Amino acid sequence: MYKYVIKRLIYMIPVLLGVSFLVFAILSLTPGDPGTIILGITADPEDIAALNAEFGYDKPFLIRYFDYIGNVIFHFDLGTSYQSRQPVIDDIMARFPNTLLLAVLSMSAASIIGITLGIISAVRQYTVLDQTLVVVALVFASIPGFWMGSMLMLLFSMKLGILPSYGADTLKHFILPTITVCMTSAAGLLRLTRSAMLETVRQEYIRTAKAKGASKKRIIWKHALRNAMLPVVTTLGTSFGASLGGAIIAETVFAMPGMGTLITTAIRQKDIPVVMGATLFLAVLFSLVILIVDILYAWIDPRIKAKYENGGRSRE
Amino acid sequence: MNSKKSRTREQLSEFWRRFRKNKSAVIGLVLLILLVGMALFADVIVPYSKCVEQVGSERLQGPSSAHIFGTDEFGRDLFARVVHGSRYSLFIGVATSLMALVIGAVLGASAGYFGGMVDNIICRIVDVFMCVPPILLSLAVVAALGTSMRNLIVAITISCIPGNVRLIRSVVLTVAEQDYVDVARSYGTSNARIIFRYVLPNAMGPIIVNTTMAISDMILSAAGLSFIGMGIQPPSPEWGALLSAAQNYIFTSPYLLFFPGIFILLSSLSFNLVGDGLTDALDPKLKN
Amino acid sequence: MKRMTAFFLAAALVVSMAGCGGSGSKGEVQTGAAGEAGAQSGKDSITIATDVDIDTLHPSDFSTTIEHTILTQLYDPLMYMNPDGAHEPEPRIAESYTVSDDGKDYTFKLRSDVTFHDGSAVTADDVKFSLELYMNSEYQGSQVAGLESVEVPDASTVICHLDNPYSPFLLGVCQVPIASKAYYEKSESDFSSQPVGSGPYKYTGREKGSKITLEAYDGYYRGEAAIKNVTYEVIPDQSTTAIALKTGEVDFAMAESSTMAQIQGDEALTVEEVGTSGFSYISMNLEKEPFNDVRVRQAINHAVNRENIAAVCYDNEAEINSNICSKERFGYSDDQFQYTYDPEKAKELLAEAGVTTPLNLGTILVAEKYSNLATVIQSDLAAVGLEVTIEVKEFNAYIDDLTSGNYDITALEMTLDGDTQQLEMAFCSDYIGTANNARYSDPDMDDLFAQAKAETDTDKREAIFDQIFTKAQDEAIYAVICNPMTLYVHHTDLDCQEIPFEGIYSIYNFSWK
Repeated sequence: MYKYVIKRLIYMIPVLLGVSFLVFAILSLTPGDPGTIILGITADPEDIAALNAEFGYDKPFLIRYFDYIGNVIFHFDLGTSYQSRQPVIDDIMARFPNTLLLAVLSMSAASIIGITLGIISAVRQYTVLDQTLVVVALVFASIPGFWMGSMLMLLFSMKLGILPSYGADTLKHFILPTITVCMTSAAGLLRLTRSAMLETVRQEYIRTAKAKGASKKRIIWKHALRNAMLPVVTTLGTSFGASLGGAIIAETVFAMPGMGTLITTAIRQKDIPVVMGATLFLAVLFSLVILIVDILYAWIDPRIKAKYENGGRSRE
Repeated sequence: MNSKKSRTREQLSEFWRRFRKNKSAVIGLVLLILLVGMALFADVIVPYSKCVEQVGSERLQGPSSAHIFGTDEFGRDLFARVVHGSRYSLFIGVATSLMALVIGAVLGASAGYFGGMVDNIICRIVDVFMCVPPILLSLAVVAALGTSMRNLIVAITISCIPGNVRLIRSVVLTVAEQDYVDVARSYGTSNARIIFRYVLPNAMGPIIVNTTMAISDMILSAAGLSFIGMGIQPPSPEWGALLSAAQNYIFTSPYLLFFPGIFILLSSLSFNLVGDGLTDALDPKLKN
Repeated sequence: MKRMTAFFLAAALVVSMAGCGGSGSKGEVQTGAAGEAGAQSGKDSITIATDVDIDTLHPSDFSTTIEHTILTQLYDPLMYMNPDGAHEPEPRIAESYTVSDDGKDYTFKLRSDVTFHDGSAVTADDVKFSLELYMNSEYQGSQVAGLESVEVPDASTVICHLDNPYSPFLLGVCQVPIASKAYYEKSESDFSSQPVGSGPYKYTGREKGSKITLEAYDGYYRGEAAIKNVTYEVIPDQSTTAIALKTGEVDFAMAESSTMAQIQGDEALTVEEVGTSGFSYISMNLEKEPFNDVRVRQAINHAVNRENIAAVCYDNEAEINSNICSKERFGYSDDQFQYTYDPEKAKELLAEAGVTTPLNLGTILVAEKYSNLATVIQSDLAAVGLEVTIEVKEFNAYIDDLTSGNYDITALEMTLDGDTQQLEMAFCSDYIGTANNARYSDPDMDDLFAQAKAETDTDKREAIFDQIFTKAQDEAIYAVICNPMTLYVHHTDLDCQEIPFEGIYSIYNFSWK
């Protein structure tokens, strides 16, 4: 198992290099240069050129890429923002705690609600309760985030006056954004858990267990749930990893400084160091989350553990 | 030859019999037929000119007998825009979900089934794409291919392939360990056949759920791409764009949000119900 | 079963840990006025919403309006001049100024009692340093265009030497914040991130992406400000800003016209409409057919329904004006021709030009935020038989096409603020490739702007501008639509005095009733 983890950590290197190159290439090869974006089209072209030279943006793309990567690898330096001229890491650190807290809160709430209701729905398949849950989940999944956020704000901040409408100062500020984000994910998880449960219930070994006279409760908890968890954990892991990238809509609606708005703004402004720094930072975290999910698989499903320990067997 | 044909027919009627048993799936199918009908006969229901005609004196009017869904900030008839919007939105939703499903299934199933090097390479590529912000990928599509409906679909698809691959891989991982797969292998059945004949059909449940759930997401994300010029070019209507334009009027003219929202919900609902019905009806193990 | 419980426990543990980390990391929390509706007597703080965060507070190397606004609170200029360019300058750090007869030397006499926020005195050397900072700045260098050198004959006198007489210089130099040379030499990074200014408010702190706090400077030479504490809160979403204004969490904010419907019914809130030099307009590529025909351009000018555009795109919060020069601005006159909505006249002009309608004009290229403008214009043009298809592009790609002339017709907004002279960027051949989007080139026009630049007599200068705008209107170089207003919403109890043209306010003038 340790060997497997170390191997996976080594695999992260090509992934990170791939991410960095792809992001850098897209930003550099699409229209717009930082000088024009900062100074505007009314500026003197000489000033724009001078500013671009100051950022090193006049150099060829590949040279800039290797300069950047060299700095990251050898000096652990994520660079300086074109816009603020402050270290990128400061921008990330100002926003990441909010994003992490929001991601953890909303994913926990979503998994507790989604998985529990999903199990109930599967166990009671085709009952009124099941069908109501499925439809309600769909309604929540189809509500656009900004609408949900605005309605919550209207109710809790305007009408009732019990929750703040914007900011990220206290845990209280996180309640509405958490609800906004978790509703959609909970709906997805509910549906997924339900279908994965139903899928496993149909598998042979459940029939065997049934035939052997195991109690329904035992079948559900011992056999079905554990196998059904695999796709659920995958989705949970990926969505948690993705939510570290920030919930752009919730961040915008509730004025919460987070990674999502940081990256989108920086992309629009062609602030390459910020986009690169934030993406790499998240890529490392994301890879770690995915690794943890894969280890969780092994823990849930011993057969996969065996597979990992054989170092991934080849079929033929 | 003849017996083969009749067997297919028999299978179909068996499939239909099982599908029909699921009441909510039938409701979903009826809904879906209605929506597709609306898209196909949009011009018969209300002429296209209605959804671009701007009447300055009739801006932002609530639903009335003249405009049953009201009018937007340009004074255009919202009903006409919603009806014609179905053409774009349903197409985008279905096309992107299907493309993401097919590509995700091929890559995910290969990764899960073969394991080893194949798994490794596919997973690393997927990891790379998962770490790049979706907007950047769309920007790359615009820069490389320009803007068009086709490229919009490409851009949305790219951003949801990685998630699909990982999900399908994980489902396949469980199924591939089953006894019948080993049996099939011992008979010398080809890998492709095992994957498509045995592995994928048995992994269908979560995959169909994921795909049908994604349709409303896809419709909404089409609007999200408009800021890089990727959305449907105005004044063409599209549900996601109708919703995001309504954002400014969320408190003052909520009906602008309500009607396109209801149609996105209905289409996602119908696809999901049909998807559920399909899972049951196609399940080779459900013999009753 | 056991494992599932463990899984949820682990999740719960992570939640609580992150919860601690989250709340612990935010040491000093400045709770806003959450829940307090309206103001109560004795209130001396103000919360202002801004839709974007600042990147820097460098006095010369900034680029956004919000940075400019906050810098205005932190720093004082030599003199204050209303940006409409028609008022006499008021004394600030300089108590008086004189211009030499040849118009090339500006001499400023400084007050002796002005101090920076660290207590040190503002000297002529600091003024020289600040002006030179501007001269060398890629960001704001154009404000002091023409300035050749700065001389400090004694501790309270500063002389600016110009290479040529340049009348817009005074307005430009009045924009320069006076910063501390000693502080700059101590730390360049603190200079831009933790400024020590010369204005009524001092910088006290910032949370990136979230808030900036200011406090009234007790040693301010014009007397301490009435509002003691100022908090700028970053709220990107307009609907949220509107709600925060209504709940009283925010006292003052710039608002977009789309939120007016929500705000106007509320008695506790007041809306201030401030004129600007920004203009929304249609630019036609004069290098292409049929836009090289003046009658086609005039037809387009008559075809657009400006009132309707102002209603649809600006919620009527805009001043209808087909002239590129705002009505408040120096050089504007009602005698300069105004285009009005007249589709029949447009059709006549098209017929005169020999155009057979319907004519396909190609694509109207816009950036996403102007797609509403394009949608209305498309419909107006279609009514006179001119057909366009809309193409929306990503902003940077759009700017690329716009400046390189790779378009047929477009609609956008532009601000060429400062002295009216700045409008040369829209008309002079030197600016083809930058702000002269129509790619208009006429030696007479270039010459008129050169005369206006050198003319120091106000009346003569006004006459030159009159010629310029009359010519621009006759030739229908652009189809200008309106000047969108800047809207500020504030609590009715907050007295904001009059917010000047262009909307850069001074919190020093604010007070609670």
